[in-house]
Amino acid sequence: MRAWGGMERVKRRFAYAVVLPVLLYMLFWTLIPYVWVIVLSLFEYSPRRAGAVFPGLGGNNPFVGLGNFAEMLSLGAAASKRLSEFRIALKNTILFSALVVPLNLAITLPAAVLVERVRQRQLNSFFRTALFVPVITSSVGVGIMWKYIFNPQWGILNGALSWLLGGRFFTSWLGDSSLFVLGVPVPLLAVLVAYLWTDAGYNFVIFFTALQGIPQSLKEAADLDGASPLQRFFRVTVPLLMPQIQLTAILTLISAFQVFDVIQVMTQGGPNKLTRVLVLDIYENAFRFESMGWASAASIILFALVLAISLAQKRLLRTNWEYG
Amino acid sequence: MSPMSRVGGYAGRPRLEQMLFLYLALSATALIALVPFLWLVFGALKSPQEIRQIPPTLFPRVWRFDNFVRVFTVPSIKLPLPMYYSNSLAVAAARVAMILFTSSLIGYVLAKFRFRGKRAIFWFIMSTMIVPFQVTMIPSYLILVRLRLIDTLWGLIVPSAIDAFGIFLMQQFIFSVPEALMDSARVDGASEWLMFRRILLPQLPAPCATLAMLTFMSSWNSYLWPLIVLKSDQKRTLPIILYFFQGQQVQRLELIMAASILIIAPMLIVFLSSQKWIIQGLAFTGLKE
Repeated sequence: MRAWGGMERVKRRFAYAVVLPVLLYMLFWTLIPYVWVIVLSLFEYSPRRAGAVFPGLGGNNPFVGLGNFAEMLSLGAAASKRLSEFRIALKNTILFSALVVPLNLAITLPAAVLVERVRQRQLNSFFRTALFVPVITSSVGVGIMWKYIFNPQWGILNGALSWLLGGRFFTSWLGDSSLFVLGVPVPLLAVLVAYLWTDAGYNFVIFFTALQGIPQSLKEAADLDGASPLQRFFRVTVPLLMPQIQLTAILTLISAFQVFDVIQVMTQGGPNKLTRVLVLDIYENAFRFESMGWASAASIILFALVLAISLAQKRLLRTNWEYG
Repeated sequence: MSPMSRVGGYAGRPRLEQMLFLYLALSATALIALVPFLWLVFGALKSPQEIRQIPPTLFPRVWRFDNFVRVFTVPSIKLPLPMYYSNSLAVAAARVAMILFTSSLIGYVLAKFRFRGKRAIFWFIMSTMIVPFQVTMIPSYLILVRLRLIDTLWGLIVPSAIDAFGIFLMQQFIFSVPEALMDSARVDGASEWLMFRRILLPQLPAPCATLAMLTFMSSWNSYLWPLIVLKSDQKRTLPIILYFFQGQQVQRLELIMAASILIIAPMLIVFLSSQKWIIQGLAFTGLKE
C-alpha cells in the first residue's frame, strides 16, 4: 500500500503523461493552422508557385500585408472577379442565415410544443423520430433528394402543383435566376427549404427536451387561469424557454454561416451566383483556383462573423443571469 | 362552457377541437418530414422510362427492385460500392475508436486531477469549438500535403483525433463518478491506467454510446473535408462517390436515387437501433455543431 503523498505524485505524473501529448497534438493540428491561416491571408499564395522561404512564402507568392482584407472590405465598384464573387457570397450568406433562424424557430418551437402534448407513447415517439430522421441523413443524399423534388420536368413539386392547380408547371426552382419572392431569389429559397428540412430536427430535440423539464405544475397553472393555447404558448412556454431559444438561435445562425454541402450538391452556387455562399467561395478559390491567400482571408472573415455572434451571445446570456 | 368544466377538461383531457388541431398539425409536419424520403424511395423503384414521365407518377407502376442490384452490376456504371462502403466504414470505425479513447482519457484527467495549468488547458480545448473547421481547412490541407497524407484515408482520421465536445461530455459524466470507487482501486495497488480501464470506463456506457454514435454519424456523412483530401477514385468515401455519380450519370435518375438510398440506409439503421443515445447526446448541452 502506497503512502498518500506517493499516490499524489503518481497521479500527477499520469495527468502530465496524458496532457503533454494532447498539447503537442493540438500545437500541431490546432495552433499551427490558426497561425498559418492568418499568415497565408497576408500573402498572395498559391501552392502551385514556388516561394522563396520554407513554407512557400515570398518570391512568387508575394507578401501583400492586409491587402486582401482591404480589398474585401473596400467600398465602391468591384475591381476584380474574385472581389465581386466574394461580395455576392457574403451577401448571400447573410441573407440565407437571416432567413434560416426565424424560419427554423417558427417550425421547431411549435412542433416541440405540439409533440409534447401527445400522450400516447408510441405516437409521441413516432413524431419525434419522423422529425429527427432528416438530421442524420447524409447531406449529399439530402441535396440529391431535393434536387429531384425540385426537378422542373420530373419533380414531385411541379407534379403536385399541376395536379392541384391544373395545367402544366415546369418551374425551374433551382435554375431560374429571374424568379424572386419578396426580393429573395427563388433558387436561394429552394436550397433554404432543403437546408431547413435537414437542420430543423436538431433544434426540435433541444426544445422538446427543455419542455419536458418544465414542471407540470407551471403548465397546469396556465390552464387553470383559462389561458387559450395561443396565450399559453406566448405567455408561458416562450418565456420559460427563452434561454434555449437564445442559445439555439445563435447556434443555428453560426451553422448557417457555414452552409456548404447541400448547396454544392444542388446548385454549385448557381444560377448566376444567386446561391453562392461564403464557404463555397472559400472552397472554390482555395481548391479549384488554388488562390489560397485570398481564400484564407475570406475564411478569416467567416471566423470574424462567427466570433462576433458568439461574443454577442455571451453578452445576452450575461444580462439574462443578472435578471434571473 | 362553465369555468369549472373548462378546468376539468384541461387537467384531464384537452378539448376535442384542440385534439383535432394537434393531430392535424402534427400529421402535416410528419408528412413534410417523410415525403422527401418516400419520393426518393419511389424514384429508386421506377423504370428509366417512368421516372422521366411528364407529369410524374407518385407510385411506381412497376416496382423495379432490381434497380438496387443494378447499381452494383451495370458495367457502364462501374460503381464498386463494396469498396466505398469499406472505406467509409474504416474511417468511421477508426475515428470512433480514437475519439472515444482521447475524450474519455482527457475528460478523466480534467475531471479528477489537480495539476498546474489545468484551467488554461480546459479553456484552450473548449475554445477550439468556436472556430469552424472551414476556417482552418486550408492550412490543415497544406500540412497533409507536407506529410504526404493527401489522397489517403489517414488524411481523414489523423487531423480529427481530439474532439472538444467529446471531452466536455466525458468530463461532465466523470465528475459524478465517486472518488471513493477509484481510490479503493488505487489503494489495492492498481496503476492509474488500469484503474481508468477497469474501474472508470465501465461506469460510462451512456456517454460512450452517445459519443460513438455522434462521431460515427458525422464521419459517415462528412463531405467537405473528404472532398478536398481524397483525389483518386479508389480512395473515396460514400458521400463523395455519390456526388460524382450523380454528376456523371444524369441520365440514370432512378439509379442515382437507388445509390442515395444505399448510402443513407446504414446510418438510418444505426440511428433507429440506437436513437436514445444520439438524442441524449444532442440534447445534452446543445453544444454540438
